[in-house]
Amino acid sequence: MHNHHTDWHIWSGCAILTLLIFRLLWGLVGSSTARFANFVRGPRAIGDYLRGRWTGIGHNPLGALSVITIFLALAIQVGLGLVAEDEDGLYTGPLYRLVSIDTSDRARDFHELWFNIILGLIVLHVAAIIFYRLRGQHLTKPMITGRASLDPDVTPMRRGKWWAALLCLAVGIGVTRWIIAGAPPFSS
Amino acid sequence: MRLVLFAIASFAALSAAATTAAVSGPKAAQVMHDRHEGMETIGKAFKALHREFDSASPFAPTVKSSSGQIASLSKQASGWFPAGTGPEVAKTGAKPEIWLPQNKADFAAKLSAFQKASLALNAASVGGDMNAAKARYADLGGTCKACHDKYRSEMHH
Repeated sequence: MHNHHTDWHIWSGCAILTLLIFRLLWGLVGSSTARFANFVRGPRAIGDYLRGRWTGIGHNPLGALSVITIFLALAIQVGLGLVAEDEDGLYTGPLYRLVSIDTSDRARDFHELWFNIILGLIVLHVAAIIFYRLRGQHLTKPMITGRASLDPDVTPMRRGKWWAALLCLAVGIGVTRWIIAGAPPFSS
Repeated sequence: MRLVLFAIASFAALSAAATTAAVSGPKAAQVMHDRHEGMETIGKAFKALHREFDSASPFAPTVKSSSGQIASLSKQASGWFPAGTGPEVAKTGAKPEIWLPQNKADFAAKLSAFQKASLALNAASVGGDMNAAKARYADLGGTCKACHDKYRSEMHH
């Protein structure tokens, strides 16, 4: 730990876990632009996009790669943190008992190294947003408001249901709490 | 009361004296090596205890052996911090603050608190009362943290 706020560190990790679970579920039952099935595309779609032949809304086929990469990178980081323990054995991730002391120590080392990958992705992500912005395309505003000016031939977004969002969040919190409790009965 | 304070003060002074005889060369390298290995072993033993005391029924033999290991290493710790074994000599997690004159008494007191907590844990573990041992283990963790927060830097292996 670089500072002495290890409990904050662990709580923010748990918050990220909750968000990851939410996003995973929202990618199945959320708004049309949030669903993985609608925006995760193959290499041909990415090629079309790069040649300017893409007319959809939401994440473009190239941006989909970024969504998947960031999601997986964060999931790996959280997963490592869940089983890690600090150098002194004073602080432990909630699932540390599922693995041996050596694995736990190694998980901490990887957790520390993997953070550099995440930093790199953050830089790339922000740079991409600025790049699009300079080319006159606002990415964050439609993401937050759900509104964008569309060409007349583009199918608009189908909004997600508020109760579905609430349900996804509740499941995220529930699963996270179960993990904080050590994922009974697996780690006792 | 005054006598007790005096006794504590002289004990602290003595412990401080034990850490002041400076070393250099191969002797320093040897001390730093022993310190590193010792701390690592203490860490491993503490982690084993963490696992036991987190479970519904701690395994007494593991608690006993880990406590014993920490207790015996804690005694050696008096010789682990002579002047001349700081980061200016070789890579170490020991901060230079340990050897600042104004910290000498504080560091000695923290080291001695760790040693006392180790012995208390060992006594409780040998006694076999796992609840008592768990409480002493928590005390011990507090002494590790108190010293590491102030006197240990981030080490990257």
